[in-house]
Amino acid sequence: MILNIVIRQLAFKPLRTTFTVFAIACVLSVVLVLEGFREGIYQQIRTIVLNRGADVIVSQSGISNLIASRSVLPQLSRQEIESIDGVVDAHPITTLPVIYTKNDRSMPVYIVVYDTLGAPAQLERGRHIENAKEIIIDESLAFEYGIHLQDDFSVSEFTFTVSGISKNTSAFFMPFAFIKYDDLIDLYFESDIVGDISTLPLLSFLLLKVKPEYSLEKIMQDVEYRVPAVDAWLPDKLAENDVDMSRSMLGPVFGLMISISYMVCVLVISLIMFSNTQIRKYELAVFKSMGFSFLRMALSVLIEVFVILLLALPFAFLIASFSAWLIEEMAPIYLLQVANPGPVIRTTISALLFSLIGCLLSFIYIARLEPIIAFRN
Amino acid sequence: MIKWSLKLLLYEWVTVLASLHGIAFSFLLMMFFSAVFSGESERIVAYPQKVNADAWVMQKGVSNMHMAISQVWDWKEDRVRALQQVDEVESILYLNAIVNAGERNWFSYIVGLKKRAKHSAPWEMHSGKRVPEAGEVVIPEVMSRLTGLNIGHELMIVDRKFKIAGLSRHTFSMANSIVFVSYSDLAEIMSSQGSISYLMVWAKPGVSVDQLKTAIHNQLDKVSVVSQDEFVQNDYQMAMQMGVEVTVMMSIISSVLAVVIAGYTCSLLIKRHAGNFAIVRALGFKHTDIYISVIFQAVVVTFSGLLLSILFAALLFPLINYFVPAVTLIVRAETVINMFTMAIIIAVFSVIWPARQVTRIDPMKVFYS
Repeated sequence: MILNIVIRQLAFKPLRTTFTVFAIACVLSVVLVLEGFREGIYQQIRTIVLNRGADVIVSQSGISNLIASRSVLPQLSRQEIESIDGVVDAHPITTLPVIYTKNDRSMPVYIVVYDTLGAPAQLERGRHIENAKEIIIDESLAFEYGIHLQDDFSVSEFTFTVSGISKNTSAFFMPFAFIKYDDLIDLYFESDIVGDISTLPLLSFLLLKVKPEYSLEKIMQDVEYRVPAVDAWLPDKLAENDVDMSRSMLGPVFGLMISISYMVCVLVISLIMFSNTQIRKYELAVFKSMGFSFLRMALSVLIEVFVILLLALPFAFLIASFSAWLIEEMAPIYLLQVANPGPVIRTTISALLFSLIGCLLSFIYIARLEPIIAFRN
Repeated sequence: MIKWSLKLLLYEWVTVLASLHGIAFSFLLMMFFSAVFSGESERIVAYPQKVNADAWVMQKGVSNMHMAISQVWDWKEDRVRALQQVDEVESILYLNAIVNAGERNWFSYIVGLKKRAKHSAPWEMHSGKRVPEAGEVVIPEVMSRLTGLNIGHELMIVDRKFKIAGLSRHTFSMANSIVFVSYSDLAEIMSSQGSISYLMVWAKPGVSVDQLKTAIHNQLDKVSVVSQDEFVQNDYQMAMQMGVEVTVMMSIISSVLAVVIAGYTCSLLIKRHAGNFAIVRALGFKHTDIYISVIFQAVVVTFSGLLLSILFAALLFPLINYFVPAVTLIVRAETVINMFTMAIIIAVFSVIWPARQVTRIDPMKVFYS
């Protein structure tokens, strides 16, 4: 019966209900955007590691991250690892953070140097590297600096030609770029960076391809046994290490922001429910004079807020998805995963819980409501 | 009319108060993100600022420290020191790496200090040694608080164990805590004997920075020479630039939220006092007067919300800085100015819907009851 009354109430003033639903949807969409933003950062990090296409990744001993870590492997480790039974190939990659500057604007760019494996998994435009001095850059970098295919891209005064623009190759607020090994050597020499090339990173990680019939754990053990100067990782584990590091860095900030958003959520729900209760004070007074208990009336407020929330959630999702699309268009360096089940479920449950707090003002108002006012009008 | 509008707001104080808080928290959200990036950017430049050299010498093509890699032959330090314009020279090795402390990974700037480091060592100590010896490390005091590790405890940098010898102040930040080790240890970790990352140069009295830069350029090739101001500015700009889009995005989202809340409040007041508005119209007040009244309400609600958010920030941010040391919040004057501009826009947008409602109020309504 209460549900019936609530539904009729909401249907009686469709415009007001729509506005209320929209207001709550807006607040929830902020939470969803923030949750999606956090999830997106973690997803970008995972993608960068997993898209390298390796069965096992080998790093310098003690290095447990692929992003933002300087790993230097012994030059002979590749040969040694490739001789292990079950290893098909050990593909080298080198990671090199550089500062890209154009038109007096600088941005950190993470260069991945690859030979046979490790190229970007998805190209937005253009093609993979075929010729010397070619580079593939992330779409966010291309967007930020207005770089097109076949444009010049200078790093430390060494000029590459953009052959492709990749997708899903940014992480940690940083776009990635990809070059081949021959060009790395040329970059070191021709750009006059430093006299001694041995001081610069030449081999950071090895991407292992393993025969399907071999156990990856066994291969990892063999690698670490044969070459003690290295650690072997499953890509999932390495990705999770990077996510953990990002979580420890960004977790407190996102935690605080999401908390503030929920505060806004509670306050908006309080505002709406309190004003709705005030508007309905005569009606509630009538119920009270008819002998309705406080509990039943409070329940009606709760049901009302839950119904509004249920109506608001799809709209919140739509607004958040639109905002996410807009942000990604404006700044492709970010990925907002608002549609992920994690953020959606978390936001829904939290919104339901916080709506309870939002109803407190209304409960106090109902408790203090004099039944006598029912007869004043 | 203005007085009447004010009375109306005061009469509905509970609704207005809830709305003010909603708007205040929306502004707080906006301020928070901007403060995070400002705080981080300030932290990023803290080290070069405190070193306060006249000129920085580094690898050619490099002009800053944040996220950069620089390697220069160590004999270049002697060449710079021999210049007659030079008073003092110090050098460091520098690496971005993960520090594993207290079972957590911390992305850090590792600075390798030489034994006689004076300016390049931590500028303020909490306790312990200022310049670490081989096998020792100086970590930020905040990291020690967060991990429970103290002087004498061990942590890992890459694959090496280090013993904590000192705790430094103001060297912790979310994205780049500064950890100090000895030059020789870092050279081994980086496999880069015989090279340094940055040279910090101080000029003799009477020598200008430009003269110093020219002298170094004439002496050395394949290096970048950048003045202190340029070096700090380059780092700061890059750090801030990384947060520009996010800050703009958060400002837009928070503003939309504030528009919705302010608009909802004004619309609610009109709805609840439609009878009064009908009287006002029946008394012959012009549409313009009523619009001014609604705009006044929106402006009062929005700007009170903004002032409340500034008050919240003044109370909350120092507490957050203390209790959540991983986050550094700094509110800059331009953020507050931007928020005032946003508040005007919010107030304008939030009256669109209520103004539409007001024009639809029938003056005859006053006679219905």
